[in-house]
Amino acid sequence: MSWLSTALWVLPAAAAVLVGLAPAKLWGRSAFAIAAMLANLVLALIAIGQFDSSKGLQFAESRHWVSDLGLTYHVGIDGLSLVMVALTAFCVPLATAFGLWAKRENLRGYLALMLALEAAVVLLFVARDLIVFYVGFEAMLVPLIFLIGGWGGTRRVRATIRFVVYTLVGSLLLLISVITLGLSNGTFDLDGISANTSPWLFLAMIAAFAIKSPLFPFHGWVPEAYREAPPEVAGLLSGVISKAGTYGMIRFALPIFQEPSSDWRWLFVTLALAGLLWCSLMAFRQPDSRGVIAYSSIAQMSLITLGLFVGSGEAYTGSVFQMVNHGLLSMLLFLLAGFVEVRFGETAFARIGSLARGRAALATIVMATGMAALAVPGSSLFASEFLVLLGAFRYWWLVGAIASLAIVLAAMYMLRWISAVLHDRTATPVREGKDVRWEALYLVPLLAVVGFLSVDPHAVTARVDCDSHAGLVAPASTGSEICR
Amino acid sequence: MSPGIGSWITLSAALFSIGLAGVMLRRNPLVILLSLEIMLNAGNLLLVAMARYLGNNEGHVLALVVMAVAAAEVVVGLGLIVALARRGSSLDVDDLKGLAG
Amino acid sequence: MSATTLAWIVLAAPMAGLFYNLIVGSSVSRKHATWAACASVLVSFAAAVGVLIALLQRSPDDRQLVSTGWTWLSGGQLHEGFSILVDPLSAVMLLVVSGVGFLIHAYSVGYMHGDREEKRFFAYLNLFVFSMLLLVLAGNFLILLIGWGLVGLSSYLLIGYWWERPAAVQAAKKAFVMNAIGDVGIALALFLLWGHTHSLDVLGTFSAVDSLPGSTTTWIAGLLLVGAIAKSAQLPLHTWLPDAMEGPTPVSALIHAATMVTAGVYLVARCWPIFRAAPEVSDLTALIGVATLTMAGLIALVQTDIKRVIAYSTMSQIGYMFCAVGIGATSAGMFHLVTHAFFKALLFLGAGVVIHALADEQDIRKMGGLGRYLPYTRTLMWIGALALAGVPPFAGFFSKDQILAAGLARADWVGYLVFGFGLAGAFVTALYTFRMIFIVFHGEPTSFARTHAEKHAGHGEGPFSMIWTISVLALGAVTIGFLELPGVSHAMRTFLEPVAPNALEASTSQETLASLLAVSLGVIGIGAAWLLYGRRSDAPRKVAEQTAPLESVLQRKLGFDELYDWAFHRPAVALARGGARAWEGPVVTGSMDLVGATGGWLSRVLGAGQSGLVRVYALVLALGLAALAAWFMAGAS
Repeated sequence: MSWLSTALWVLPAAAAVLVGLAPAKLWGRSAFAIAAMLANLVLALIAIGQFDSSKGLQFAESRHWVSDLGLTYHVGIDGLSLVMVALTAFCVPLATAFGLWAKRENLRGYLALMLALEAAVVLLFVARDLIVFYVGFEAMLVPLIFLIGGWGGTRRVRATIRFVVYTLVGSLLLLISVITLGLSNGTFDLDGISANTSPWLFLAMIAAFAIKSPLFPFHGWVPEAYREAPPEVAGLLSGVISKAGTYGMIRFALPIFQEPSSDWRWLFVTLALAGLLWCSLMAFRQPDSRGVIAYSSIAQMSLITLGLFVGSGEAYTGSVFQMVNHGLLSMLLFLLAGFVEVRFGETAFARIGSLARGRAALATIVMATGMAALAVPGSSLFASEFLVLLGAFRYWWLVGAIASLAIVLAAMYMLRWISAVLHDRTATPVREGKDVRWEALYLVPLLAVVGFLSVDPHAVTARVDCDSHAGLVAPASTGSEICR
Repeated sequence: MSPGIGSWITLSAALFSIGLAGVMLRRNPLVILLSLEIMLNAGNLLLVAMARYLGNNEGHVLALVVMAVAAAEVVVGLGLIVALARRGSSLDVDDLKGLAG
Repeated sequence: MSATTLAWIVLAAPMAGLFYNLIVGSSVSRKHATWAACASVLVSFAAAVGVLIALLQRSPDDRQLVSTGWTWLSGGQLHEGFSILVDPLSAVMLLVVSGVGFLIHAYSVGYMHGDREEKRFFAYLNLFVFSMLLLVLAGNFLILLIGWGLVGLSSYLLIGYWWERPAAVQAAKKAFVMNAIGDVGIALALFLLWGHTHSLDVLGTFSAVDSLPGSTTTWIAGLLLVGAIAKSAQLPLHTWLPDAMEGPTPVSALIHAATMVTAGVYLVARCWPIFRAAPEVSDLTALIGVATLTMAGLIALVQTDIKRVIAYSTMSQIGYMFCAVGIGATSAGMFHLVTHAFFKALLFLGAGVVIHALADEQDIRKMGGLGRYLPYTRTLMWIGALALAGVPPFAGFFSKDQILAAGLARADWVGYLVFGFGLAGAFVTALYTFRMIFIVFHGEPTSFARTHAEKHAGHGEGPFSMIWTISVLALGAVTIGFLELPGVSHAMRTFLEPVAPNALEASTSQETLASLLAVSLGVIGIGAAWLLYGRRSDAPRKVAEQTAPLESVLQRKLGFDELYDWAFHRPAVALARGGARAWEGPVVTGSMDLVGATGGWLSRVLGAGQSGLVRVYALVLALGLAALAAWFMAGAS
């Protein structure tokens, strides 16, 4: 089954080329693109089915690439890769379905770029070689630039430039770190890279991931990019692509730089806490759906980072699970926001509201999504947050206690969002606009998976838990020494 | 009795300097192109002379390569000049500075 | 069937009803949908009775059954299953929740008739019943927390059911956020508990409690108490409950009187090993109960909204329960919980009949003399009011007096405080209850009441589904107290003893003393209410004039809302607003733009060298060449 890892990214890449080269007026092009994405989803499901959660890396494939430079093509799937690839393969077709529903212009380019984006993201999630990872990490920027710049909102160009420039600064630092590591080890293969103690290389590498995830205070590009991108691309951006940052931390930065990451833990725990509370507070004052979702997204990513740095097995599993949950919910929230924008033509809370009137399906979906996104106990997000906060509490009770405040803040901003969309009266109530009907095709699958993971979070955590994260972060020395 | 290697080097250097001066001093792109050719051929001359002097053929081969490249370059260069002329822009390289930083 | 199988059925039935209405709800008639909802809860109740029977067949020491459905969550060393715990304590709660739940479902069929989205209402109601059953059945603290959160969610949904009223949405949000604070308290308690025992299993952790350091136990109990306070609307996290009356009346009866708000009492009773190991926190629990029962009773005296009167009464009665479980009289607290569920649901639903008859009017100042038009309702409300006031032989008498007697038996300052304030509370309870009864049902009808009542003349007192359900509740309010007849039977206490033992036992003389005092104070209270409000004199006005300052303080509910507004809401908003201006813009976005600006500046500096003059380039080229040549030559020589 070693072909599977490669097939997972080659399939969308090949489909992207085919769609891109096909004649502009070809009928069935959209169907072909969606079919390719669904086929990839089937591949991901096969991977889930064949995955043996008691083993580590599976479906591995390793070939020489440029042997003089120590480059190998090395891909494979472990629990972490598995869930991230599955998340990607699941979200991309739904995003594209939204794009088709929203009648995107110039479909050929749009579909090809979506497929290319999927290929790049999957490549970086299966990579076991620093250079292969870097290729995926950078390659996904290209479709993103065109998707935001080409199909975005009114200030899309400005948003794109900010996003790209800021991300590239991080990428350069990452490249420096990668090259130095590769040259000093004689190979870029993850298996051949030994632990490194340089704090500078560590900080250079993690800078890229901190910008991508994003970590407070490097989140400046987020609100604008999430507002100006087309909703489905914003959903992918915050749901899937931001995970590349935290994925990079788990896969590379923390295991390779064990000593520096332990030394600098205080900084990242502090930044994550600050981001969690600060962005929750910001989310509470945003004037539109996308603003709320953007800031809540940063807060959630901060919580994931917090879980990675506190150094406990519980928090690690919680963080990875949170990556999945946040991916699904971000996607759902952005698609809902996009649905409202397209159907009712308004974005600001000041001009939208009372949408629950006569729209039972929309009201149900918004309510369920909002409740899942504020981590109401019993939801999958609750399960992952519980693990992360538990780990944080074990690290230092004060960290856990402060982070738990975010639960209350999350309740506040999500309830405000729900009311603003569904309930609040506005000066000019929206009367036109039908309820959700076949739009449920791209909304309900997401909700169904969230529901499934709420009933059985173990389905994910069991697969992730067996990853070897022994060397992730040295266990915290300060246990829960409260009240001694 | 043929001239010694020193003479050839001197000649080549002189040709090269003349070409260089032409490139730097003249404003007409056509003439600059001609001057460039002179510089290239100065190089060719030196290659051939050195090949003779050292008694192997490598210099000849290189000279042939340079000629081929020069021919291609002339094609592109002349093409550019003709295109410029047809666009009606002035044929003064000092006016052609659209790429100034 | 075994008790655990039946318990799973109890849990599954309302969930099935919810999904049925969610999926097919849009395509069936309203009757079909509402009866599906009722039937699912009835199945639940039947299974709960089965659980009780199955438990009674086992020997008293063998009545703790755990059943784990599946592994719910794992991570690191944490490994928690979706498990339920069936024991006498949960069985009692199951019966109350599913029994009262069913009656209120049936009542709602009549009450909500004609509402545009009543299918949604019944779906929410089913969700609530499921969540509450999950809460009381949880065999794992993680599952308990899930139930805890889900009842908060359904409470939010139901308070905000009439979302077109801004006040309802506000109240719903307030309730949710306040309860989220409680959830955080419980979550932190669980972190601490897990950190020391590496388990969240209810029975497993209890067996490890004794080995915990004392200060840890105190913290755990204190944090659990935060959750209990928030859920049960005790001081100082009580402000959401009166506002929650924006919800439909059956919701107030089910969630905000009979079941959910008593979950805090259940939690303390369930976690008695932890609380008993943390005596300071237990005392604090009792003191909070004392403070709440007094304060809420006083505020209830000046309320003019019929539902708010009952809501403050609920807070006050839960205060009694907190006193009981705080001083260690666990079974007395649970008993009061059960009796209160009946008579308070009865009062709310009776008030619902009144509101229904008066076209949604809730202001008691507009009511009066309704007994003439609603005689049956008046009788039932009298039963509920007498039970609330603790007059024998109604249910409240037995349970309240047990609590007071336990306070005497405790015989320390906390116990005497409970006893003293409990007695005073008995007087206040009777006063505000009968103030409401006399104003609403007695005296001359107001013109408002007359107009509406005559419009409804000939329609009886409401739909049949409303009348028979409150009749059943009234029957319960009369009879349920006899479960615990002082000196004769202690059915409830004996049943609960193996899983929630009492720390103290009141002697017969203490019980007698408590009963005598409480009943006489209650009767005096009723008499005072008659003198003040029953005779329709101008006495209330005179009293009001003399106590105007006190009354205005009570009217403003002691200013808690304003305090929280100033202490939390405004600072948070100011911080968010100021922060957006001072930090988010200049620093976060600014730093990013700085990167871009640096790039731009560099390009301008370096670009200055690119003149675009080919001949200059050639010159630089030549100079470079010359420099290289010079360097080679220098190297060669």
